[in-house]
Amino acid sequence: MKCSSAIQKIFLMASDSKPQRLRQWASFQSSAAKKARTMTTQSSLKDAFSSYADDLNHLNDKREKVVKASRDITANSKKVIFQVHRISKSNKEEVLEKAHKDLAAVVDQYVAKLVKELRGSDFWKLRRAYSPGIQEYVEAATLCRFCKSGTLLNLEEMNASLSSLSDPSHKPLQINILDYILGLADLTGELMRLAIGRISDDELEYAQKICTFVREIHRELTLLVPRMDEPYDMKTKMETMLQSVMKIENACFGVHVRKSEYNPLLGSGDPSYPLMGVAGGIDL
Amino acid sequence: MKSAFRTGCLTISRSLNPNPPSLSALHGLRSAAVAPSPRSLRAPPFRAPSPATRCCCSSSSSSAMSGGEAPALPLEKQFEDFRAQLEDSVVLRERIRAVVLEIESTARLMYSSLLLVYLSRPLPEVLDKSKAHIGTLKDNYSRLADILSECPDQYYRYHGDWRSETQTAVSLLAFTHYLETGNLLLHNEAGERLGLNNSQFGLDLEDYLVGVLFMSNELPRYVVNQVTAGDYDCPRKVLKFLTELNAAFRMLNLRNDFLRKKFDGLKYDLRRVEEVYYDVKIRGLASDEDSTGDQRSKENNDSEVVH
Repeated sequence: MKCSSAIQKIFLMASDSKPQRLRQWASFQSSAAKKARTMTTQSSLKDAFSSYADDLNHLNDKREKVVKASRDITANSKKVIFQVHRISKSNKEEVLEKAHKDLAAVVDQYVAKLVKELRGSDFWKLRRAYSPGIQEYVEAATLCRFCKSGTLLNLEEMNASLSSLSDPSHKPLQINILDYILGLADLTGELMRLAIGRISDDELEYAQKICTFVREIHRELTLLVPRMDEPYDMKTKMETMLQSVMKIENACFGVHVRKSEYNPLLGSGDPSYPLMGVAGGIDL
Repeated sequence: MKSAFRTGCLTISRSLNPNPPSLSALHGLRSAAVAPSPRSLRAPPFRAPSPATRCCCSSSSSSAMSGGEAPALPLEKQFEDFRAQLEDSVVLRERIRAVVLEIESTARLMYSSLLLVYLSRPLPEVLDKSKAHIGTLKDNYSRLADILSECPDQYYRYHGDWRSETQTAVSLLAFTHYLETGNLLLHNEAGERLGLNNSQFGLDLEDYLVGVLFMSNELPRYVVNQVTAGDYDCPRKVLKFLTELNAAFRMLNLRNDFLRKKFDGLKYDLRRVEEVYYDVKIRGLASDEDSTGDQRSKENNDSEVVH
């Protein structure tokens, strides 16, 4: 660049302590050149920052919309979970049918909205914005599947059902491993509530199935914790999960022990006896 | 021991599952995990086939699922896949960390070269020394881009691992550019210097902006030392630059995050430079660029203080 070589020469000359005239010339030269340069800087600076502003605005607007969509998913998934909790011995079929219908609506309306707002990009960049919603959805969907068939709805099947939601030209939203695992951790809490509820309804076997299931999940997730992207969050969830497992175990234990002492004395007609002392001590 | 536990698990999962898959199907699925995976039967048209089963990418495609409700995989199998994928991501992070540490040390070397400007070394020497490290930085980032190319679209998953080092690198580049030209290094220019102007691995805009603000933090110190060394023109130029920069940043709508905090700091940098400019001007030390008639009268003042 012509200017910089001139300045270089000037600096070299200056260090030889030549008379003021050269210094005066130097400062005039550089300031004149500076004037030309700063003029162009000013306009290109404003243009550049104007385009930066546009980019940031687009991203932030998108983020806000994604957050809103995620909140809707959370709220409606929670409703599905509460619907499942209305299960009792007598109404299992209808409750689960409604729950599955509501879950399908969550996907068709709210997850679809999220997919629309993401427009096939920034899945990882905006993950924090929609992760809570997706985790809640995982929780609801896995809870429904467990109640229906006693199995764990796996990630691949969930993602297969979501891939149809997006525009064919966009990459589909896929639930990532981390959100799925975090959702599973929350699932165990809901299963704990369900188990305690089933025990109150004299469905000890159901509760024991839940117990086994939750134990397995806890055991599998133990190995995954340190490899998660943010292991700290997962560690807290694991502690809570262990509490849930133990609550279920203690409840099952309580019923089991009391049932064994109960039968010879009173006969098997009274359904409320197994509850005594069991529900009271449980902190839900 | 291992096989006994496995059969135990199978028994448990079978008792929960009303439609247990046959053992032979399970064996088939397990062997699929180690062989290259068959394509999912319902892959959408645009999705490029992934070469390996155990990629750190999020979707695992270990088996083809039939339509409707799929037969439940045993709990264990899915988690095995998860363990493998997460392990891959841990390994990837370690590789990223290794390169990022090198970026950090190159940045340190570049910074120490730039610090020569406070030791009154001639500017060309300072610039040459500092620019010599840019090539290394470019290589480091290209290695990072290579690592990330194994997992396309996951730039922002791991972005936190190189975010602050990149901000530092940008600030050093911007400072070098300012010393050389008096202008602000723009986003695309910074990206070019680091070899980051490709679509997969770019220079994040917010990283760039934070880097620029880190550079502006350095300017008050620079101005103070320049004046001490006899350069009385510097405050005026830097003040003009920072005023323009501040005006440009004010065009942005920011969230209440780190970038915003740094931007709030810019006005304090601006104020300190204003104070230095004022000190120099009222003592008649500064030459006024706009009125070249004053040049001659300033000449006398100059002669008293230059060394």
